[in-house]
Amino acid sequence: MKVIVQLFGPLVEQAGKTRLEVEGATVREAVAACGLKLDPSVRFALNTDYVGPDAVLKEGDVVSLIPPVGGG
Amino acid sequence: MMFKVTTEPLSIDEAYAAVRRDDCGAVAFFVGTVRDHHDGKKVTQISYSAFQEMAVKEFAAIATEAIARWKVGAVYISHRTGPLKIGDASVVIAVSAPHRAEAFEGCRYAIETLKKMAPIWKEEFYETGKAWISG
Repeated sequence: MKVIVQLFGPLVEQAGKTRLEVEGATVREAVAACGLKLDPSVRFALNTDYVGPDAVLKEGDVVSLIPPVGGG
Repeated sequence: MMFKVTTEPLSIDEAYAAVRRDDCGAVAFFVGTVRDHHDGKKVTQISYSAFQEMAVKEFAAIATEAIARWKVGAVYISHRTGPLKIGDASVVIAVSAPHRAEAFEGCRYAIETLKKMAPIWKEEFYETGKAWISG
């Protein structure tokens, strides 16, 4: 499954880019394919909803890596 | 009801107009503003970035929950992004309710939940250096 992984905040600085195109059948696989060293505090979203790492992907899905948030 | 993420300055008047209702006798506000210090360091500027579509969806979910739990009348949540100066409003929340207790409770719930859940990131700039701030 070809999917997009979006990065935000400090992860953009770490990776030097805002999105990657990777292969993966689940969020866990897509995240692993990014090759980033992620802190356990990073959460995942599938399209616009928080999901766990076992969430199943379809072609064209957007997975977002959500580092600790700081709104307010 | 109104939920948005915007680079434009926030408006308390807009928030009030969005939530005021004839069946509500109270409107509670929370306004977050950019502070000039953090952990003993002088803050010169802040920049917020957001996953906009998801943040707006989280704001709507916060409103749905506040309505379910406290029977509040209406909820307004707006967060600013981009570079902000000291004193600028970064977030405006307004909650109307028939009575003040529910308005205060709903407003408190909204800001506390936003801080935990909304995909928004804050970068603080100091006289020397910068840092990403969470929580």
